Amino acid sequence: MDTLVLWLLVLVFAGAFVAQVAARVRLIAIAPNTFEITHPATRVARVLVEVFGQRTTIRERPIAGVAHAFVFWGFIAFAPYTASEFLAGLGIVDVTDSGWFAAYRILLTPCAMAVLLGILFLLVRRTIIRPAGLGTNVSIESVVIALFITTLMATFLLTWWIDESTTAGRINWWVHVSVILGFLALIPGSKHLHLVFSPITWFLKSPTLGNLPNLDFEKEEVGLETVKDLGSKAVLDAFTCVECGRCQVNCPAWGAGKTLNPKTIILQTEEALLAGTRDRALVDLYSAQALWQCTTCGACENQCPVGVEHLPILIGARRGAVSNGHAPDYLGAMYNNLERRSNIWGLSYGEREKFVETAGLETFDPAKHDVLIWLGCAGAFDADYQKSMRSLFEILRAREVRFGVLSKERCTGDAARRTGNEYVYQELATANIETLTAAGPKTIVTSCPHCVKTIGDDYRTFGYRVEIVHSSVYIAGMLNELQPDETAPASTVTYHDPCYLGRYGGTVDEPRALLARMNAQVNDPVRSRDNPSCCGAGGGLLFADKEEEPGTRISDMRLTELQKTGASTVVTACPFCSIMLKGAQASRQADVHVVDLMTFVNGRVRKL
Amino acid sequence: MILVVAEQRGGTLNRASWEALACAQQMGGEVSVLVVGAGVDAVARELSAADVRDVVVVNHTALADYTADGYTAAVTDVLSRITPDVVLFPHTYQARDFAPKVAARLNRVAITDVVAVKRDGDRVVFVRPVFQGKLLADVVSEGDAPCIVTVQAGAFQAAAVRRGASAAPIRQLDVQIDEAAIRQKPEPPFQESRQAVDLTQAERIVSVGRGIKEQANIAIAQQLADAMHAELAASRPICDAGWLPMDRQVGSSGQTVAPKLYVALGISGAIQHLVGMKGSQTIVAINNDRDAPIFEVADYGIVEDLFEMVPALTAALKS
Repeated sequence: MDTLVLWLLVLVFAGAFVAQVAARVRLIAIAPNTFEITHPATRVARVLVEVFGQRTTIRERPIAGVAHAFVFWGFIAFAPYTASEFLAGLGIVDVTDSGWFAAYRILLTPCAMAVLLGILFLLVRRTIIRPAGLGTNVSIESVVIALFITTLMATFLLTWWIDESTTAGRINWWVHVSVILGFLALIPGSKHLHLVFSPITWFLKSPTLGNLPNLDFEKEEVGLETVKDLGSKAVLDAFTCVECGRCQVNCPAWGAGKTLNPKTIILQTEEALLAGTRDRALVDLYSAQALWQCTTCGACENQCPVGVEHLPILIGARRGAVSNGHAPDYLGAMYNNLERRSNIWGLSYGEREKFVETAGLETFDPAKHDVLIWLGCAGAFDADYQKSMRSLFEILRAREVRFGVLSKERCTGDAARRTGNEYVYQELATANIETLTAAGPKTIVTSCPHCVKTIGDDYRTFGYRVEIVHSSVYIAGMLNELQPDETAPASTVTYHDPCYLGRYGGTVDEPRALLARMNAQVNDPVRSRDNPSCCGAGGGLLFADKEEEPGTRISDMRLTELQKTGASTVVTACPFCSIMLKGAQASRQADVHVVDLMTFVNGRVRKL
Repeated sequence: MILVVAEQRGGTLNRASWEALACAQQMGGEVSVLVVGAGVDAVARELSAADVRDVVVVNHTALADYTADGYTAAVTDVLSRITPDVVLFPHTYQARDFAPKVAARLNRVAITDVVAVKRDGDRVVFVRPVFQGKLLADVVSEGDAPCIVTVQAGAFQAAAVRRGASAAPIRQLDVQIDEAAIRQKPEPPFQESRQAVDLTQAERIVSVGRGIKEQANIAIAQQLADAMHAELAASRPICDAGWLPMDRQVGSSGQTVAPKLYVALGISGAIQHLVGMKGSQTIVAINNDRDAPIFEVADYGIVEDLFEMVPALTAALKS
């Protein structure tokens, strides 16, 4: 009788599970295919570290993360137990009386305690502590599931005291089994679907941050306009999201009180997909305001514990908007600058030539020069940033590094690409690749992390491969040749990691090694290394007017964090960060000095 | 003969008209000026200062507000009686709207957005940018006269217009306009509310930066601005601090200006500010930091304490 009832229940609940999952899989299947499986070894390694090792889950929130890891690892430990109980209950095969199983039960006992401890902590956190990332309303369904897990563990532990053959024992067994079945039916419709999808989502997540597909204009690709344009990975992401809010609390826009919340973007996607509103314009779904507030810093994606990629959705939707002429006015002006003058500020090339001449720069020749210096827009046109470039040249010349620059260099197209103007980006990229290929450098050195990302990663997708390194990496490579000027006073500095250097490029040690070498004591700010908070300039927001920026200025927020280190000097290593932080400093007349890394190093290195 | 169609709105002459006039004088030969509107005699007198054959005025109540149909009717009617070789318009929004209509109505050639004029034998060659300014094309009209041409703003200097020894004669011309045929009904002109101060039209600007140190010190800059008949402007930090309203901000997140004279007081010269004022004809920078990037763009750089320099300058201007 019991067997028959269990069969019936399993069919009903497993059926409910399968039907709900199938509905979502169907939505993934009809979406344009964006699944990629390049670098399979990297992907598998990442699934092991991220899913089984729980790296990102624990990294940012160690206590909640470990609690989650206890529950997760406990689930894995319990999988054979649950399977055995069901196989026995369904009358297929019974191994529960074996000696092995008895030993396994003993081993499971501490696991059950760990799960209990973990889930009770998480329940208290969700209902009583209530961190901002989890949203304003307590999720009833999460509470139910936490109670389910508690019940599962309690009923397991009770088996040590209650004999299974007694009535109480049978009741205990049925409670355990029913809760598992109930859980199964609840999974697909809740955030707990991540149990099923997250290993796949992690496997399919791009190995490089901010990896965007190039639009093919021959195929009339215009980016993402409506819900049905969202690619299969984006749809999978929407169903995998565990709503933990790590993306939200790390987002500079959300932190500054703006409309954009990356978690909301994913949840809106999920809602629209399930509602079947496939022709809904993404600009309306996410709101145009939110869409243009993203600095593309990548914090959301990088902190996501289940492999969700926000940037392809946000930038994809920006592409759709730009293709339909819906970019904000300030970007229109910047696009004009790029189209007419090939630089973000629309300045005349005569000014770059003037700098090249006064700085005594030679035109790059692979026979004569070791490296090509890529000036970038700031290096070529910003008189302030040119001081940092001159410092770099001095350091290189003193160490007899032979270098040259291109006679004509265009903006890499970073600002166009991140804001969704793929057409202008590809025009610039194609022209630059042609110039670079003709010049034939083996190594490019630049002080702009955005240029490193665009030339190093994005140009690669057009088949152009070159070694491009940030100036901090190149100069740190000759650390032994740099002696500090002992007469320079001791200095306590804080280092602001640029997003495109620290987070995108993983370059976090070299700038610090240079600072330490120059006898500077480095105090890291609250957010640093591979998870810095943004200066506010990325994603075209360097050009936003104040009206486009409700809430606090992101740069103000970051400067406050940097000031809290107590350091009197803020060192950074990106022209955009430099402009934003110097602007914030000037606006507040903050008692802190903002300086670029190369200027700082050159000011303190013993002159040869 | 070249006919320049000057542009006015509400009795105020658009400065770009002088540039079109400068272009006409440079082309050589007789130049005549046409101004259409309602009650625009004052504008005609202003124009008569130029060295031109005459100024033709068309006054008609139907032309009080600009409408494409009304102005097209007026100008085509004039062109049926005066027969110039070339009709020059400034390349303004208004001309962009109705000059092509005039050309189409007369079945004549229109050459827009001209930046230079050359001569090739007895032919007039117009130079205009193509492919978003990537190339310049030489264009010659092979149609019947008159050829309709619009002149890009800034391509010719208004200051280069030759003045006449005495005022040119002003000739009134009556035109027939069928008011019922005017299909556009103009609304009051839309004013962008957030920029109550239009710095782009200022001929002289005194701009303050963080070097001014305190809000109370802005008065020093204001006094200099008053003495120079200049507009007061600022860099971002000043407007962020609320010391001056946002509509006085110059830079990539404020207004882009190109006055004849731009005096930068205590402005370091962040790129976001420089891009908003680099087009100024003459830039004077006063800053006590000799390494300030503003000196890279300044025509006159004064490394001096602005609190000494500026009051002295104001006093000198007043005396």
